[in-house]
Amino acid sequence: MPTRIEAGQGRAGVMRAGRMRKAGASKAGALLAGLLLAGVAGPALAGKADDTLVYASDSEPENLSPYHNNLREGVILARNVWDTLLYRDPATGQHQPMLATAWTWVDPVTLDLTIRDGVTFHNGDALTPEDVAFTFNYVLTPEAKIVTKGNVDWMKSTEVTGPHSVRIHLKAPFPAALEYLAGPTPILPAAYFKKVGLDGFSKAPVGTGPYRIVSVESGKAVKMVRNDKYWPGSPIGKAKIGKLEFRIIPDGDSRMAELMTGGVDWIWRVPTDQAEQLKRDPTLTVVSAETMRVGFLQFDVQGRAAENSPLKDVRVRQAIAHAIDRKAMVDNLVRGGSRMMNAVCFIDQFGCTEEGVPAYAYDPAKARALLKEAGYANGFDIDLSAYRERDYAEAVIGYLRAVGIRAKLNYLRYAAFRDALRAGKTSIGYQTWGSFSINDVSAFTGIYFRGGEEDLARDPAVIADLQAGDTSTDPAVRKAKYAEALKRIAAQAYALPMFSYPSNYAFTADLTFTAQTDEVPRFFAATWKK
Amino acid sequence: MTIRPASPLAQAPASAPAETVLPPARSPAAIALRRGLSHGGFLIGAGIVGFIVLVALAAPLIAPHDPYAQDVSRRLIPPVWHAKGSVEHLLGTDKLGRDYLSRLIYGSQISLLIGLSAALISGAIGTTLGVLAGYYGGRVDAVVSYVVTTRLAMPVVLVALAMASLVGGSLKVVVLVLGFLLWDRFAVVTRAATRQVRSQDFVAAAKASGFGPVRILAQEILPNILNALIVVATLEMAHAILLEAALSFLGLGVQPPLPSWGLMIAEGKQYMLFQPWVITIPGVALLMLVLGINLLGDGVRDITAPEGRH
Repeated sequence: MPTRIEAGQGRAGVMRAGRMRKAGASKAGALLAGLLLAGVAGPALAGKADDTLVYASDSEPENLSPYHNNLREGVILARNVWDTLLYRDPATGQHQPMLATAWTWVDPVTLDLTIRDGVTFHNGDALTPEDVAFTFNYVLTPEAKIVTKGNVDWMKSTEVTGPHSVRIHLKAPFPAALEYLAGPTPILPAAYFKKVGLDGFSKAPVGTGPYRIVSVESGKAVKMVRNDKYWPGSPIGKAKIGKLEFRIIPDGDSRMAELMTGGVDWIWRVPTDQAEQLKRDPTLTVVSAETMRVGFLQFDVQGRAAENSPLKDVRVRQAIAHAIDRKAMVDNLVRGGSRMMNAVCFIDQFGCTEEGVPAYAYDPAKARALLKEAGYANGFDIDLSAYRERDYAEAVIGYLRAVGIRAKLNYLRYAAFRDALRAGKTSIGYQTWGSFSINDVSAFTGIYFRGGEEDLARDPAVIADLQAGDTSTDPAVRKAKYAEALKRIAAQAYALPMFSYPSNYAFTADLTFTAQTDEVPRFFAATWKK
Repeated sequence: MTIRPASPLAQAPASAPAETVLPPARSPAAIALRRGLSHGGFLIGAGIVGFIVLVALAAPLIAPHDPYAQDVSRRLIPPVWHAKGSVEHLLGTDKLGRDYLSRLIYGSQISLLIGLSAALISGAIGTTLGVLAGYYGGRVDAVVSYVVTTRLAMPVVLVALAMASLVGGSLKVVVLVLGFLLWDRFAVVTRAATRQVRSQDFVAAAKASGFGPVRILAQEILPNILNALIVVATLEMAHAILLEAALSFLGLGVQPPLPSWGLMIAEGKQYMLFQPWVITIPGVALLMLVLGINLLGDGVRDITAPEGRH
């Protein structure tokens, strides 16, 4: 008998020695459990009962100023909190007056706009032409350090020409200008912005839009209330729902769990597998809509990430293009109305065409042959960065592996991902781009191939074609120039377009919500069902 | 020369009446074997671990498919016992259409590799420190105890997470981080065991014969604290395997497409609600391995302890 007791003591001794680490291990357990159960524990503040629409998404804009992030979540906030000079009717594509009541082209490089009277910012300041001029001139200064240069660098300067009018001078003719004035160029309050600076503005943003931001909790949530003094006559009208809250929940499963338990009312980017299952839940509505977002692999063509980067060789890039079965990915992984793309743009955008653009069929044998020809018969190791839809990136890695290219995945937050690509610190980027919902190829191909920060190829011929296309006033010339550029990009395989991204939206059945193809949820138009 | 410490932490009372009931004529190995065969936990643990080790070693021979070969048109096929399952994929396929059984088989290599290497690295560090502290005592002991206390003050998971996110997760990083973090139990146990052994007569005899400290440590002390070491090593192995799974689950451990069980659990998480087998299968495998290692370690401890407990 004494031996047994002794054994017990011995064991307890070991346990005692390990207590510290047991605590560590259980902490890991708690962390895992927390991840899984986050949904169950969430406070139930959402829903029709308290007139609060809580929407959740994965990423947080690095800065809430609409010019200082290029993330979709930022675009959503921009469209719900700020107004633009013009409004583009998503149904007809026509431009309607918004903060500008009228506009005229004096000549191809001069645009006159009349600014609406009686509009006030959320802080009570009246909107004046000075606000417009300040916004556009400020964002063009290098000190502003905006991250959406591609959206504004067609402007040269903006001047106030009267108590209600401004004049925008363009650097060169830019036929797509109105598209940009109706999208990614919200008007900021000059006096307030100058007073609080960018940091202050990011913490307490002020706009003229249908919702007013009341609190910003970094990494967690942005809370908004309806702007009850929203100017009458706006094409989008006053918001219907009283309170709006943007919740940042990076983990997709937690978002879904939150939705199913009523912690949030609206989520999107639900993987098709799960969307199909969610449809069975009668308390939820699930809709799927194609968006303008297109995924593409961006290659470190100039070999900045590695001196002897295999990607400098066009045959290697073509081999990668042949190695990936995009059609199988569209049919089995993405689904929901996704379309395979062969040109680096969204096919419905003005100027985007696949005519004459070389397409790369799935052909692993050819891919291997091309690699061999390029001197990589045994393949090579490379890094691939991605920031969303990890499954797609892993599928790409799987296809590359099958032809001998051993890619390692770096899964990053968007800002880190974008900066790594811009700085030439990663070899392959799994990019996606929603064009800021601008229906013009300059907002896609232009951003990534016109020689800007995002351009990893910097091919002078492509840059010249894109510039010619952007600045021509003749639609036929524009189309021809863009087609030239797209052809060369594809022939050189500077990037590999993948497919368009449908988005699966899932939201409470109490909500009436219409998804638009431009990937901008218009929460101001959403209503509760009676 | 077969005096062994009574227990890893060795606050043992000297009384060991069980010795008297053992048949006196048998060799120590025969005694250990006899005890092992009648020790249920040991047998189960040895069975599980032996099976998984065999599977890991024979992975290229027994895996029905290439664990990396994906076919997105055959994704998320349920296991064979499911109505929609197919014999071709006994455990079904994952989200990219890779054979789940093959990934599980190759995943055992990674789990065992990490468990063994982490236990080896941490065992080497911890044992060296512990033996030195226990044998020399005094200042050496004070310094080692200070280092151990410092190490104990660091939360393992947090440090491992921070390291992995700084350096970037990979198999090598995980092994090194865990190896350099899990040595404290080795140090504590070997220190106590060494303290006990060093005052034994045979150590004094060795000293009197003029042997140097290296020889005494290697030939007199180490063999006599070995069974305590084995027990700690199994515990640490299981611990390292669990930590690797946790790190991989959080995306900072082994990187895809390597088939780590922790990573498979992480990837299965999004299917938890509707395709629960995706997360259950690697979860059960991990549970079995850790359970097996712990049972084995417990059994070894019981068997090799001189009092003959079962």
